[in-house]
Amino acid sequence: MEVNLRIFRYNPEAGRNKPSYDNYTLEADPTDRVLDLLELVKSYHDGTLSFRRSCAHGVCGSDAMRINGRNYLACKVLVQDVGNNITVEPILGMQIIKDMIVDMEPFFESYRSISPFLVNDEIPEDGKERLQTIEQRERFDDTTKCILCAACTTSCPSFWSNDEFVGPATIVNAHRFIFDSRDTAPEKRLDILNEESGAWKCRTAFNCTQACPREIHVTQAIAEVKNALTTGRLD
Amino acid sequence: MTTSSQVRKVEVKPNYENVAWKWMRYSGIALIPLAWTHVLIKDIVVGVHAIDLEYVIVQWSSIGWQVFDILLLAFAFAHGMNGLRQVSFDFIHGAGARKAVSWGLFVMWLVISAMGAIAIIAAAQNHLANL
Repeated sequence: MEVNLRIFRYNPEAGRNKPSYDNYTLEADPTDRVLDLLELVKSYHDGTLSFRRSCAHGVCGSDAMRINGRNYLACKVLVQDVGNNITVEPILGMQIIKDMIVDMEPFFESYRSISPFLVNDEIPEDGKERLQTIEQRERFDDTTKCILCAACTTSCPSFWSNDEFVGPATIVNAHRFIFDSRDTAPEKRLDILNEESGAWKCRTAFNCTQACPREIHVTQAIAEVKNALTTGRLD
Repeated sequence: MTTSSQVRKVEVKPNYENVAWKWMRYSGIALIPLAWTHVLIKDIVVGVHAIDLEYVIVQWSSIGWQVFDILLLAFAFAHGMNGLRQVSFDFIHGAGARKAVSWGLFVMWLVISAMGAIAIIAAAQNHLANL
């Protein structure tokens, strides 16, 4: 099938100081991924095209981008899923460095703010392991799937308007530890999410849930964090 | 296997955002019976064309309807004002400006609710005086 690919371009180093679009007409299979099309353009048409990619199998979270107006991982979305007129743009709400590459540092700074690691200085009863029941592990199972691609945060209208908002990804990763029965620092994370720039900025638009390539129930996780903020209960 | 099965509970200090979020939920829940009772009686049972000044004055002579209408006004307006505060914060980013907007909307809510309450009570007293 013939695909019309429209790619956002911005490259101040090469004199492309103003955002613009390049158009390509390519031959593709319906089961090709959008990442395959970008690789094709970079390899055979324009080597200056820049985008992040690493594993190319939906695990590393490097290639989140806006495809036909919606956030996807380019390595997970097939041509047959988005049609033969495809527009590829960088994710919204971040400073664009070059083409599809955005400055992810504010995103990771927000992520680091909630201490995304297990906090527990107590020695386990048997001196070796901190055991959990199946139910205790299931409580935060969904949010362990996050790959930090930023597809959720950059699809959030509240984040677009308020760059101080910690964003859905940070709340999801806080959820992963807040509801972990082995963790001893839920208050610290909840105090951060209780601030004006925390979980209260979520307006339940559900864009994050729709955008998540790992199918995490992001809005539900945020609602559970809000519930913990209002009741203090972590069960 | 040794695992802790007790309910984990933490202390979260309520702040303005926390209380405002709860207020939106509680006032929303309170508005469901208030608004639907209002719509049912005024628009369906009585009908808007049958409502005139006389009807309103007679209804407000009941202390129950006075309280009902004051609560409906206060809750609906507070719900709307807090929503407006949230939306305005998408465009206003300075801490001082946000504080000013919050206080301004709160004062607006207080004044309008008080004016509504005074109008309702005064109308009822006026009706009783003319009996």
